[in-house]
Amino acid sequence: MEVKVNEQTRKKSEEDKHISLVINGNQYSLEVGYGSYQVKPSDTLAYTLRETLGLTGTKVSCDDGACGSCTVLMSSKAVPSCMILTVECAGKDITTIEGLGDPKTGTLDPLQQSFVDHTAFQCGFCTPGMIMSAKALLNENPHPTEEEIKEALSGNFCRCISHYQVLEAVLAASEKDGGDND
Amino acid sequence: MRTFTHINAHTVNEACELLGQYRGKARLNAGGTDLLAMLKGDIWPEYPEAVINVKTIPGLDSITENDNVLKIGALALLSDVAKSPTIKEKCGVLAKAALSVGSPLIRNVATIGGNLCQAPRCWYYRYPRRLGGPLPCLRKGTGPCLAVKGDNRYHAILEGKGCFAVCTSDIAVALAALDAKITIAGPKGERSISVVDFFQPLGNTLKIDEMIKDFQIPATMLSMEQRFLKFTLRKPIDFAIVSVAASIGLNNGVCTDARIILGAVAPMPFRAKAAEEKIVGQPISDNVAAEAAEKALANAKPLSMNAYKVEIAKTLVRRAIKGSTAGLGE
Amino acid sequence: MIDSYRYIGKETPRRDGAEVVTGSAEYVDDIRFTNLLYGEVLRSPHPHARIKQIEKSKAEVLGGVEAILTWENVPDWKFGTPTIFRILDRKVRFVGDAVAIIAARTKDIAREAARLIEVEYEVLPPVFDMEAAMKPGAPQLYEELPGNKLPLYAPVLGPKSLTEIVMGDVEKGFAEADVIAEGTFGYENIPNPLPPEPPSAVALWQEPNKVTVWVSNQQVWLNRKILSEIFGDNVEVRAIGGPCGGSYGSKVMSWQVQCYAAALSKATGKPVKVCFSKEEHLAAFVLRPETRIHARVGMKKDGTVTAISGKWLLGTGYYSMTTQAQLSVGAGEAQIAVRCANWDVKPTIVCTNRNASGIVRGFGGQELKCALIPLLSLAMEKADLDPFEVLKKNYLKPGDGYYWRDGNWYSYRGVDYTKAMEKGAQTFGWKAKWKGWLKPTALNGTKRTGVGVGIHGNADIGEDVSEAYVRLDPEGRAVIYSSVTEHGTGQRSNCIKVVAEVLQLPLEAVSITPSDTLITPVEWGPAGSRGTYAILSAAIAAAEDAKQKLLQFTAPLLGVGMGDLETEDGFIWVKNRPDNRITWKDALELRTVLGHGRFNPDYSFANCMMSFVEVEVDTETGKVTLLRVVNATDVGQIIDPPGIRGQLNGCLGTAGIDSALFEETVLDRATGCVLNANMIDYKWRTFSELPPIDNVIMETPFPSHRFGAVGIGEVATSPGPSAVLMATSNAIGVWLHEYPVTPQRVLEALGKVGSK
Repeated sequence: MEVKVNEQTRKKSEEDKHISLVINGNQYSLEVGYGSYQVKPSDTLAYTLRETLGLTGTKVSCDDGACGSCTVLMSSKAVPSCMILTVECAGKDITTIEGLGDPKTGTLDPLQQSFVDHTAFQCGFCTPGMIMSAKALLNENPHPTEEEIKEALSGNFCRCISHYQVLEAVLAASEKDGGDND
Repeated sequence: MRTFTHINAHTVNEACELLGQYRGKARLNAGGTDLLAMLKGDIWPEYPEAVINVKTIPGLDSITENDNVLKIGALALLSDVAKSPTIKEKCGVLAKAALSVGSPLIRNVATIGGNLCQAPRCWYYRYPRRLGGPLPCLRKGTGPCLAVKGDNRYHAILEGKGCFAVCTSDIAVALAALDAKITIAGPKGERSISVVDFFQPLGNTLKIDEMIKDFQIPATMLSMEQRFLKFTLRKPIDFAIVSVAASIGLNNGVCTDARIILGAVAPMPFRAKAAEEKIVGQPISDNVAAEAAEKALANAKPLSMNAYKVEIAKTLVRRAIKGSTAGLGE
Repeated sequence: MIDSYRYIGKETPRRDGAEVVTGSAEYVDDIRFTNLLYGEVLRSPHPHARIKQIEKSKAEVLGGVEAILTWENVPDWKFGTPTIFRILDRKVRFVGDAVAIIAARTKDIAREAARLIEVEYEVLPPVFDMEAAMKPGAPQLYEELPGNKLPLYAPVLGPKSLTEIVMGDVEKGFAEADVIAEGTFGYENIPNPLPPEPPSAVALWQEPNKVTVWVSNQQVWLNRKILSEIFGDNVEVRAIGGPCGGSYGSKVMSWQVQCYAAALSKATGKPVKVCFSKEEHLAAFVLRPETRIHARVGMKKDGTVTAISGKWLLGTGYYSMTTQAQLSVGAGEAQIAVRCANWDVKPTIVCTNRNASGIVRGFGGQELKCALIPLLSLAMEKADLDPFEVLKKNYLKPGDGYYWRDGNWYSYRGVDYTKAMEKGAQTFGWKAKWKGWLKPTALNGTKRTGVGVGIHGNADIGEDVSEAYVRLDPEGRAVIYSSVTEHGTGQRSNCIKVVAEVLQLPLEAVSITPSDTLITPVEWGPAGSRGTYAILSAAIAAAEDAKQKLLQFTAPLLGVGMGDLETEDGFIWVKNRPDNRITWKDALELRTVLGHGRFNPDYSFANCMMSFVEVEVDTETGKVTLLRVVNATDVGQIIDPPGIRGQLNGCLGTAGIDSALFEETVLDRATGCVLNANMIDYKWRTFSELPPIDNVIMETPFPSHRFGAVGIGEVATSPGPSAVLMATSNAIGVWLHEYPVTPQRVLEALGKVGSK
């Protein structure tokens, strides 16, 4: 049965037709709707990043908020992009794995470089999410203890068990760099 | 995820009005970590027509203290609750409960009100459409509780009546131990209800056009010893198998007042009054704690696979009373 | 260990490192296609039913739906062992079995279409227990499989694959024994290897007979072989692999996913992508086989095993692709771990109404060890013997032999692992921690600690065939043609490493082709730890062949014999006369050199890993915590230190050690539903709970290839689970017989709660 809502409500739902947000320093204005390049009300941020904007560095694994593969930074906090509706991201500042490092020169963010130097991955599928969680930590706490790193990464799934090498990579990056490289 | 109409609410009144207009066919979205899981699983008999975003209502995420009351807005993030200096100092049980939820990622988006209103953590109730679900059950209005004859290792050991799904809200357990009041807003204004009374065997007292606005913790509780223990297989991610939150007033080692609440053992947070009565007026000792734990679980009726939860619950009650937290991830 | 290598044994960055850390590595779901359609599967709510009618008209008229296939109109493609399993059948055999497949313009439309299909079922009684399935009158899953028993023969392993462990005279063996123990142990928790990337495929069918499949898989050529068998040799199959987000064996069983995509592409003429959701991955994809063994073990007081006889029940769920092969390999591995002259172990493979078991690292052997080592332990307990000493004594030694999976007898040509085991024991402090059977190592209030040890080894490290080409370019570069994909072991980087070592080129001067069967020669792919010996042997041989051809070509130019020449960094010179040199470019001008390398199966080596674990049990809550792990092995020569470390640390995850602690697939025996098909309820190890792991890796050269190395990665998960069962049993003083060691089982064993 179709619910009857009053005219004002119907209007309201139409009101927020454009979602303006910043992703990796670029301003985006996304249209809400059901067309090919529009954002549906039910689209998650992970979906929009990957399917609408082509930013496939953000991986989706569990799609249930439990594995951290889709981690991005929102207002500098690490969040699961699979559990966030894009239509609720108006005005947000988002950083994805593509936003680290300098694609023009090919220079990696020191944290990314540290992951390479420590072979802190095996299959690599969880790595972008892992790096984003670690990045959020280092931004807030440039010199974390090992325990603090474990806590910050406790929502990131790695099945190959590269955890030990990840810890070393994050520790090394924090010692070298202090994490304030933004 | 199937689509829905999405509306940003800008005031509490507007949110309640919208809920009223949709007559139960709209869902509020706060942090989204539970709602989106339910929508993706597509498990409700009726898929919601609308999702109403309440994060666009200003001021609902504040944490303030005045007139001897600590007030926490329903939209306060669990990560903020966990690290708020005021909450850590005055009601550590709540900070610990908040910190025990999910993972840092979840706590950065999930809210305190949302945690309280989470759908039951029952793997029959939540069985997804994509795998041949949803499964009809008592909670959904059709048929018996499937846990009774099925795998009930995580289900209720106390007060199960028909439905044996448990309330796994860590926040509810902590707030109940703090004797917190919930301010509920509706079309006719606001009402206040205690956390324990908020829950009902098959859900909570929220009417279809009501929402939680804030939580108020009376100052009298803030001086008591507070303990939160949560038993899980893993420290992060997991929901409680058993949790205990306790506020215990002590005077020279003698218990003067106590509130002991168990989580994940019953369809609602379970107040262990018999255990409270056992310890009030007594000096806290191993024996008193053990006797109180026995009392707390005296009415336990485990199902076929969850008798072990009774033992764990007793252990947690005992340890909460004694103040021992060994090995429980505190 | 030779330390004169330029790259071998040195830490070198993974070739794909930059792509991995920038998110630009393209896993299947990341590849963009034009006109792409999305495939979705409608799944059965019943564990066992016959489909009476499928009403799809409502779904068909939904805008954006391009094809709906059911058993009535899908190609009659079949695979499995035996080849009787259809991609869509008239019957459904587990909750989640495929009923219809849908292709639509978006994922959401495809899912909505699935919602609109109405299916009428004739519900049949299900059977979930292995023994119940074999009883007369039990529900029958397939007409072709009376008693729900599968034939044991594994055609993929040759005409006389190993189907049992029978040799010597067990009665004589028991007569010689000082102690005889008997019991039943089960490893029946069917854990999921659960790679982070779900099973995924994109297929493009081009009529009349060409199909290209983009796969998430580490064995791309094998994938091509499987699909060719299914579609028929008249169909030209091209399989393209890329980075694989974990497999741990499982994704080799992706034929159904790929066939759904291929069938939908055939029906629509467009590329179709099928990516399982995590629920589907957990409830409708590969699990470990379940194992239950009832056996008797005879043992002498000195730890000599005199006889093993018993019944080995293997559950494969609703179908089998490789369970027979897992039986064969497991049976071979049993002989490698236990030198015993008299065996009589008879297996049975049973079908039940749950999702399928199949390939997971440990391939049959881990499943068998999880029951066999506890059974041996019962005898050790009777004889009051230290399990470390008994396992060490009974492991394969040079000169010993075994019947391997193909039914042939092989004499072992590898190294003696005794030293590695002893070094492991020393690192762990075994002697001080071992207090005797069912005795805790330490008591601490309500907590007790206990220790355990397990062992495993595999002779598949030289299984099957590999081929590679190495092309030398005039500019001093080399290209490796190989279908190996990167699934986490660093295999592609290691191929580059050995080729650079043979040709003495800078690492940057060596590249490897995309994994594409159109371009690359035959390659079984990484499996059974074969990467280091088999795959690298082919790459080494191809590089050597190319080098020889290069020098052969250059020798007349420099007026010397080719044996007088050396090459390094793109230069060729006369030995001892480094001034008399030319560049490859000078020598080759506009010409390339192609070397070919092939590896043929060699089952005369077996690897070995011993794992020591220490656990702590909270006797009040029943919670078991892993405190420490020590792994010990000898690999001949480490190729890549961080790579092998990662592989050995992998002992915890992928249904390894943690399958003894908390991992399990919860199959509801009342409804047939997998209840924990999400990553909250399916338990996996987190950063918050990392026990210290020490990996003792010795390097005693093997007569394998020129670098003397063998592989180890696959078996890392296998010795640990039985060690955890042993350690927990020792801690609590009571034998546990099932996995995992949940609080429920521990409290029951302690008598604190009644058993169900």
